Amino acid sequence: PYGRPLAVPAARKLARELGLELTAVAGSGPHGRIRVEDVRRAAEASAPA
Amino acid sequence: MDYEVLVIGSGPGGYHAAIRAAQLGKKTACVEQEYVGGVCLNVGCIPTKALLHVAEDLREAKHAKSYGIDFGEPKVDLKKLEAWKSGVVQKLTGGVRSLLKGNKVDLIEGRATLKDPHTVQVGDRSVTAEKIIVATGSEPIEIPGFETDGERIVNSTGALLVSEVPKRFLAIGGSAIGLEFSDIYHALGSDVTVVELMDEIVPTADRDAAKELRKSFEKRGIKILTSTKALNQKKTADGIEVTLERGGERETLVVDKILVAVGRKPRGTGLGLEEVGVTVERGFVPTNAHMQTNVPHIYAIGDVTKPPLLAHKAMKEGIVAAEHAAGKPAAYDTIVPAVVYTSPELASVGMTEQEAKDAGHKVRVGVFPLAASGRAMTLGVSEGLVKVIGDEETDLLLGFHMVGPAAGDMVAEAALAIEMGATLEDISLTQHAHPTIAESFMEAAEAAHGMAIHVANKRRR
Ligand SMILES: Cc1cc2nc3c(=O)[nH]c(=O)nc-3n(C[C@H](O)[C@H](O)[C@H](O)COP(=O)(O)OP(=O)(O)OC[C@H]3O[C@@H](n4cnc5c(N)ncnc54)[C@H](O)[C@@H]3O)c2cc1C
Repeated sequence: PYGRPLAVPAARKLARELGLELTAVAGSGPHGRIRVEDVRRAAEASAPA
Repeated sequence: MDYEVLVIGSGPGGYHAAIRAAQLGKKTACVEQEYVGGVCLNVGCIPTKALLHVAEDLREAKHAKSYGIDFGEPKVDLKKLEAWKSGVVQKLTGGVRSLLKGNKVDLIEGRATLKDPHTVQVGDRSVTAEKIIVATGSEPIEIPGFETDGERIVNSTGALLVSEVPKRFLAIGGSAIGLEFSDIYHALGSDVTVVELMDEIVPTADRDAAKELRKSFEKRGIKILTSTKALNQKKTADGIEVTLERGGERETLVVDKILVAVGRKPRGTGLGLEEVGVTVERGFVPTNAHMQTNVPHIYAIGDVTKPPLLAHKAMKEGIVAAEHAAGKPAAYDTIVPAVVYTSPELASVGMTEQEAKDAGHKVRVGVFPLAASGRAMTLGVSEGLVKVIGDEETDLLLGFHMVGPAAGDMVAEAALAIEMGATLEDISLTQHAHPTIAESFMEAAEAAHGMAIHVANKRRR
């Protein structure tokens, strides 16, 4: 809803700080709700080795 | 450059931006031409809420008779009332001054205009800044034929000064400001009429909620004329003769005081913005999610950017602009709650039933009437409701609409629920203290599933 991925405010903020698009993060909550941990995991996965 | 961040306007948007910029270590100044604290603190939110509290006390004093307390006929000392209200305003605006000072924000008093993209002229002083945040707010819209004279025909600022109680009061405009003043003047003893052009009061609100508020106003004896236009007026010795038009028919209403509350217009012009290349559309200054205008180092926030014209939206935008100007990746991405502080209050956050349907959701609706709330009964309240809108497929909460006591505080729980992606079930499963008004949110969510305990369930769509 609201034309944005379902994510808690802190996850939205962290994604912005890490320069990640929320659409590129897999949410682990109900209905794919994105949590802070999900953003961290996605950031680690996309970080250059 | 004199400053890293310069803010034009010290209303809710402006002082939030200035303080946050300073907190982030930026050398900051804030320019104000009229009153520190802006519209909200001086002639908006704060003084109206003070008067509404007095209205509530007056009503409560009368109502108390029904449970055996007779305070006698209340006498209102308008001078004392004015002094108290001004005292509240002074204390808060003084507070903003010291917050600015405490955060080492330079307050520059005077009218700011942009001379070039980095230079602001205030009186005979030229001030340069790397980033500029425009927070110039809005002002009342005048309607032709009802030019305000500060005495008999007033805008919200004029209506705040209650030097006498008019016998007959007319509010043109049935949204928050018109309704709040109608509530105040009715409680003080005026005979009140509200005229609204649209077919229901608070046209932006959910229909069921607006209807419930209307019912409560009408029960109290406030006349509400919807789908009605105030055409013109003539001042006579006996009062002001107003011609109204409704469904092609004309009628005359004689009143003593008129409040024009048909909306507010943004103050985006006359500042030199267009001259330095900033796009201004019908007075509004469009921005992106970082609150940047089309000229990236010039930001705009609050009433001057876009509706809704609400203080908390301005505050949030101010924080976003300041953080972004300070190099942080801030963006505005939250949902705006809205409150009408009448008695009962009307509060909402998220989508109305119609908006949810228009957005393509299959909606699930739950309604809990406060007449079924034990807490409401102990407060002597028999009207009001909580209505929730959920998404049929995912059960996500899409909207919350409430009419009732403390609705404005209740809406915070619903805003948090939407921000956290809560489902109606999550709300049903949250234990709410009993007896409280807040329980009604839980029961409305249960009602959406046909599982409310304190009302017979009819599932609606
Ligand atoms: C009667 C009334 C009741 C209201 N009640 C509520 C309420 O209960 N809740 C709510 O959320 N909202 C309420 N509002 C709306 C709220 O007041 C505004 O949304 C809010 O004040 C907007 O903040 P702002 O910072 O954008 O601008 P403003 O508060 O309008 O402040 C702008 C400031 O900029 C200054 N300024 C303008 N141009 C210049 C310039 N060129 N140079 C220097 N200074 C300049 C102005 O003097 C002003 O002080 C109410 C409004 C009114 C009128």
